[in-house]
Amino acid sequence: MATTELPRPALPEAHHEEPGGIVDYLTTVDHKKIGILYIFTAFGIFLAGGVLALVVRWELAQPGLQAMGENTYNQVFTMHGTLMIFLFAAQVSTGLANYLIPLQIGAADVAFPRANAMSYWLYLFGSLIVFSSFFVAGGPAAVAWTAYPPLSTEYFQGTGMDLWIIGLSVVGIAGILGAVNLVTTIFRMRMPGMTMFRLPLFCWGVLVNQLLILFAFPPLTVAFVLLFMERNFGARFFDVAAGGNQVLYQHVFWFFGHPEVYIIILPIFGIISEVIPVFSRKPLFGYRAMVFAFFGIAALSFGVWAHHMFTTGVVYLPYFSIMSLLIAVPTGIKVFNWIGTMWRGSITFSTAMLMALGFILVFVNGGITGVMIASPPIDFAVNDTYFIVSHFHYIMVGGLLFGMFAGFYFWFPKFTGKLLSERLGRWQFWLFLVGFNLTFFPQYLVGLDGMPRRIADYQIERWTSANLASTVGAFLTGVSVLLFLWNFVVSMRRGAPAGDDPWEGNSLEWVTTSPPPHHNFHELPEVHSERPAFDRRHPPSFPGEGADTDPERDPDRG
Amino acid sequence: MQPSRRAPARWLAVTALVLAAAGCTPESVTEQGQAIYNLYSLFLYIAAVVFVVVSGLVIWSVIRYRRRNDELPTQTHGNNRLELIWTAIPTVIVLVLFVFTIQAQNKVLDSPGEADVNVTATAFQWSWRFTYEGTGAEVVGGPETIPELVVPVGQRVRVKLVSVDVVHSFYVPQTLFKRQAIPGVTNEFDLTFERTGLFHGQCTQFCGLQHTDMVFRVRVVTQGEYQSWLAETTRRGAARQPGT
Ligand code: HEM
Ligand SMILES: [Cu+2]
Ligand SMILES: [Cu+2]
Repeated sequence: MATTELPRPALPEAHHEEPGGIVDYLTTVDHKKIGILYIFTAFGIFLAGGVLALVVRWELAQPGLQAMGENTYNQVFTMHGTLMIFLFAAQVSTGLANYLIPLQIGAADVAFPRANAMSYWLYLFGSLIVFSSFFVAGGPAAVAWTAYPPLSTEYFQGTGMDLWIIGLSVVGIAGILGAVNLVTTIFRMRMPGMTMFRLPLFCWGVLVNQLLILFAFPPLTVAFVLLFMERNFGARFFDVAAGGNQVLYQHVFWFFGHPEVYIIILPIFGIISEVIPVFSRKPLFGYRAMVFAFFGIAALSFGVWAHHMFTTGVVYLPYFSIMSLLIAVPTGIKVFNWIGTMWRGSITFSTAMLMALGFILVFVNGGITGVMIASPPIDFAVNDTYFIVSHFHYIMVGGLLFGMFAGFYFWFPKFTGKLLSERLGRWQFWLFLVGFNLTFFPQYLVGLDGMPRRIADYQIERWTSANLASTVGAFLTGVSVLLFLWNFVVSMRRGAPAGDDPWEGNSLEWVTTSPPPHHNFHELPEVHSERPAFDRRHPPSFPGEGADTDPERDPDRG
Repeated sequence: MQPSRRAPARWLAVTALVLAAAGCTPESVTEQGQAIYNLYSLFLYIAAVVFVVVSGLVIWSVIRYRRRNDELPTQTHGNNRLELIWTAIPTVIVLVLFVFTIQAQNKVLDSPGEADVNVTATAFQWSWRFTYEGTGAEVVGGPETIPELVVPVGQRVRVKLVSVDVVHSFYVPQTLFKRQAIPGVTNEFDLTFERTGLFHGQCTQFCGLQHTDMVFRVRVVTQGEYQSWLAETTRRGAARQPGT
């Protein structure tokens, strides 16, 4: 990388009104406020998606159709998946990234503050378009979040589907724009001394995640445009009667769809890699291996898409199988390095740390079943059953949500200057852990027993008890989310003051005030390692100790 | 201190048992599915061991190394040899799993020579048609009737799977096998049932409004029963099976 300093983009004009006013948020180009907007919007969508999940669980608590007809059920689970995957999961980390990346690299803002604001507003706008489909005749799309044609083209009429396509395309474009911005920020806006190999792991996670967005969202947008043309302008890309090809859609969709999983989880890996060292009072074990593992996962993730198509009978199984199995290796490195970080550490069980530990346990579970279904014969048995639903919720709910809450508990003090209640946090954690496993572990079992996903009703009596348990667990999980909201409300009003650095953090955000000033820093320490805040608290007693002066570790600026 | 050291071990043993006892698929009723069952069991045992080891390490380390005082622990940054080991071990494990995968897959997808029975299964919104090649026998399901695929035990049944509208999927849980029915694609696979009985089957690829109801049954009968059923059904032309 060149060492020439690019001229910094013009900083946003100073705002004179009290920070936090509505007008201020509507017009802001400050990365912190945009980050907050992202987080609030994504979390609101998560709550909506969560309510839909509870509706699904309510219906499935017992055999028979009690609460709704099949059409409504299909709409509810489709929109649950849609809101969660497209509008919540990737965006909540984008929000955290927006807030934290400039702080962690010692910059005053992101590279393109205005484009940043634009990607947020496009995201909100696209999401509103998707939500508007609830209010049109025929209601929202009922084609599953994967929207396979010809079901989503020829066989599903209704504006709801078109709004779904348009809204998600807009959100996709917002994502690409946001990715350009964040990637440029990380490459170009680092303060002197902040070399690539001194970046906090959260920055690495976000960097790789945003690079994946850059490669994966364009094909998705293409797939959506093709769908839209087929629905509205008589194109026949996927229509076999006209020489089109249905499987082509599956390929393009999953070429996006699999990396999407890593788009969702990589920033979470980053969060965990920040939280564990701080609460173990040790540096991250194997920093470089962790970075290479990110890239290993990212590279492999583009070579495995057809493991979602093993049962089509028209893909070359061994290739996609071995690639998928191999992802376990870099993922395993991460898990072992986290354990290595805790080993011989000095561990504090704050809520953030508990959430991180919960993350490891459930994520390993989801990862292991992922290895199972990377084996085509096993996938023949469990594909499209509740085994899959359980597997990906162990990653998405278990992994993503535990990681997200770890991040919230960890950085809330930085965002607000106040601490979240640890007592409520512990309650939330245990309720979440129990509720989550009660929801999804039984789904492994009914899935193995053959219960298909995406069905409004099941005829087999022996599936009832597992489904009932799952529903009870889902409501417990819901209570745990409510506890978090409660915690948020009371802590905003009368949370204990946090100070600038309540956890003895490692990265630069902990050296500035809580919340940080408009331009982020009044003063910045010198950066000699990947833990500048730590180095400031524990100045090396002789040159070379603690601080990282190895010239080999300084490839960008050396 | 003593009891809290013991607790994780007991907890792990219980988890292992629960996993081993609860995480099994039902045994398969076809020869091909048996290979899947065996492969699944192998994966499950290895998975259980990995899960127990990893969560054991996590739980052990957080209990053993919880904060006791303000002393800063030794600041280790890594250990190349250790990291190499925990890169190598998973690599070896997945390569071994891959070898077993390929072996099982070859058994499952093997379709040597001519089959004994050839059936075309046509998926449509929202039921199935089973056409017995070369006999004129046909079974069609509808909103009120659950179609039954009748096949002889111990014989190789070759299913040609097609769809006339959207993507569906042919799934009989007790065969541990499914395959998508894709417009424009003809998928072929063999099933050799090893015991008689009536088995539940269902579409597993979401296919629109009544996906939930797109069920069917497989009735595996003896050779003799099959012959007379076939003759009877052929005589009646397209027969609608009464729901059982
Ligand atoms: C704790 C809260 C949650 C519960 C109880 C829950 C429950 C469910 C259930 C029961 C289904 C199956 C519906 C069906 O196949 O008929 C489902 C589907 C799904 N869920 Fe969740 N879920 C939760 C959170 C999440 C989160 C956080 C995500 C993603 C980030 C997510 C993503 C999905 C997706 C993509 C589907 C598939 C939808 C489809 O098949 O089209 N869920 N969820
Ligand atoms: Cu995938
Ligand atoms: Cu179906």
